[in-house]
Amino acid sequence: MWSYEKRLEYPVDIKNPNPALAKVIISQLGGPHGELGASMRYLHQRYSMPYGEVRGTLTDVGTEELAHMEIISAILYQLTKGMSIKEIKDSGFDTYFVDHTAGIYPQFASGTPFSAETFASTGDVIADLSEDLAAEQKARLSYDNILRMVDDPEVRDPIRFLREREIVHFQRFGEALSLVNEKLDSKNFYAFNPAFDCQKPRRRR
Amino acid sequence: MNSRAMLLKRLQVCDFVLTEVGLFLDTHPNDKEALAYYHKYLALKQETQTEFTRRFGTVSRYEPKNSDTWDWVDNPWPWDNSEG
Repeated sequence: MWSYEKRLEYPVDIKNPNPALAKVIISQLGGPHGELGASMRYLHQRYSMPYGEVRGTLTDVGTEELAHMEIISAILYQLTKGMSIKEIKDSGFDTYFVDHTAGIYPQFASGTPFSAETFASTGDVIADLSEDLAAEQKARLSYDNILRMVDDPEVRDPIRFLREREIVHFQRFGEALSLVNEKLDSKNFYAFNPAFDCQKPRRRR
Repeated sequence: MNSRAMLLKRLQVCDFVLTEVGLFLDTHPNDKEALAYYHKYLALKQETQTEFTRRFGTVSRYEPKNSDTWDWVDNPWPWDNSEG
């Protein structure tokens, strides 16, 4: 189960509204490489994993991604608080504003709403961990793209933190995959799926 | 940075060490050095959290500032900037 600790994982203090930045940064909330999707991917994949170390990694990274989702939301909140109607119109934020005002709603930068279609949970140990490695790189590249477009140091700072975390998570999933390979048949990693083929038969009544 | 922001930053640093070392321990559960480091920072985080709570209010439902108020709901919340 989850607790909430009343603080951000990393500080966010943005003094100047800028809805133009919010328009792109929102993709890291509800977009294809965003934190909400990352969290849901890992938290859903963990159940079928047979190894405690992998269950632990997926649980803890999935939980940290919720904290990242919160950081992105704080960034968006501070970028749109007190924005003027002129800023809304000039930035193109008007199409979001009409339905969400300065509220926070998880969507892609393109406006597509958040969807579970952005992640998979296959119940196959190797497929799931391989997807997780790719997911972290996709998140990292999106942060790289955001950094290309943002000059405000108060916005760049938490974004750089989040980008670094993606790289660390990539390392962690790599280690989890190595650990799994060590436990499998070295002559054929695909001989069986340890998430499904090693179970004790369940009694049927 | 005011004193609340400074103490909050110390608390965030402690939390972060626990997050980071914890992730390492997930795939290296028997690493003695990492375990010792984790426990050292666990104690430090607890101390820092208690001091922050005493001076600036509740940050954890399991460590309320006192039992006469439910200051958990008080502003600021974590997504507010320094201008509140």
